Amino acid sequence: MGNKTFQSLTNPLAKNNPVLVQILGICSALAVTTQLKPALVMGLSVTAVCAFSNLVLSLLRNGIPDRIRIIVQLVVIAALVTVVNDVLKAYVYDVSKQLSVYVGLIITNCIIMGRVEAFALSNKPLPSLLDGIGNGLGYGAVLVIIGFVRELFGSGTLFGYQIIPESFYEAGYVNNGLMLFPPSALIIVGIIIWVHRTHNKDLQEK
Amino acid sequence: MSKKGFLGGKNSNAYIVFYSTVMVIIVAVLLAFTSLSLKDRQEANELNEKKDAIVASMGLAKGTYDSVIEAYVVNKEGEVINTTATPLKKLFDLPASFAAGEYPVFENKTTGEVVLPLTGKGLWDDIWGYIALGADMNTIKGAIFDHAGETPGLGAEIATPKYQAQFQGQTIYEGEQLVGINVVKGGAQGAAHSVDAVTGGTKTSDGLENMIKECLKCYDAFFKSRTATPEAEVVETVNAE
Repeated sequence: MGNKTFQSLTNPLAKNNPVLVQILGICSALAVTTQLKPALVMGLSVTAVCAFSNLVLSLLRNGIPDRIRIIVQLVVIAALVTVVNDVLKAYVYDVSKQLSVYVGLIITNCIIMGRVEAFALSNKPLPSLLDGIGNGLGYGAVLVIIGFVRELFGSGTLFGYQIIPESFYEAGYVNNGLMLFPPSALIIVGIIIWVHRTHNKDLQEK
Repeated sequence: MSKKGFLGGKNSNAYIVFYSTVMVIIVAVLLAFTSLSLKDRQEANELNEKKDAIVASMGLAKGTYDSVIEAYVVNKEGEVINTTATPLKKLFDLPASFAAGEYPVFENKTTGEVVLPLTGKGLWDDIWGYIALGADMNTIKGAIFDHAGETPGLGAEIATPKYQAQFQGQTIYEGEQLVGINVVKGGAQGAAHSVDAVTGGTKTSDGLENMIKECLKCYDAFFKSRTATPEAEVVETVNAE
């Protein structure tokens, strides 16, 4: 595997993270991160859809008429999401229940169409597949971090298990109600972007 | 072939119409195939989930449904009626079943406890649940609620065991009057027939309260006929003498 091909997998994980740098997919980062488990499964589902939509559209890229380009992308992405939803319902029923409406909302996730437009339509299938996986995982990683912070401080649990001991509550500790509301996700994303830019100095605007 | 290529080139109208037609047909076949091949598994999952929810509301372990439950359908007068679909199948479209005046009952063959399905509206979408009553048709043995799309961490809390536990031991009758359960904002503080509302989930809590009241009302005659049975028999024997 060439170095450049490999970079299309690793770049979106950190340096060119879709949420932190491209500011894509913020909407769902607010919606599914009150708890860690849906955030994790959402990250994995988006990775699957993003990888396959990139692959399929990269294979089709030379035949797609320019004028209906967006429609073709939407049809492919929507079909993939429908298949993912059906498979989840058939084989991991409890997880699909946990995600409920959010699976369908993957169709509108800006990262997927963004990567198809920006990468898959002008690159070969293999790099496109890796780019899809990388971006999905980069998105998932941010979701998991936000979900971790929000569930821990909002409910005192992780994956539904009690983490903050009962004695803390008896001593007067209370869960932070703000963490259960969407604005807290924006604040956390802001903090992560701040840390991210401090580490990657070339991202800072002069 | 002309120099413009197949159907006059990539951006001709003919090619676009041809391309979209072929694409839509392929996608339709693919989706129809996926849906059909997974349908049985999905329905089995849903049916199992409903069976497990019914026994779970009685506090029994998963998978015990087939050995302990006897299911039947009653009407508004509390009489058992025959229906074409089984009581379990009724759960797949419960609102329609309630509208048609057919109310499914799941009875524990040994203890005489009954489980009743509930259906209602939350803030965003449907909510539903099962409520298990003791043989006195008054004391709640357990309750399970679920939802299609309430806000996680807020309205969705009605689906947590911690929330559902406070229904245990509550009663739904005040004398002869069916009062249901009040879901009280700010905390029930031990009041009769009352539980705490969900913090930050007022609309979902209101929906939950309405659902319990409206659905149990449909079974009022059934409950009364069940608790009145021994008395009715006594009266009959007296008359016979």
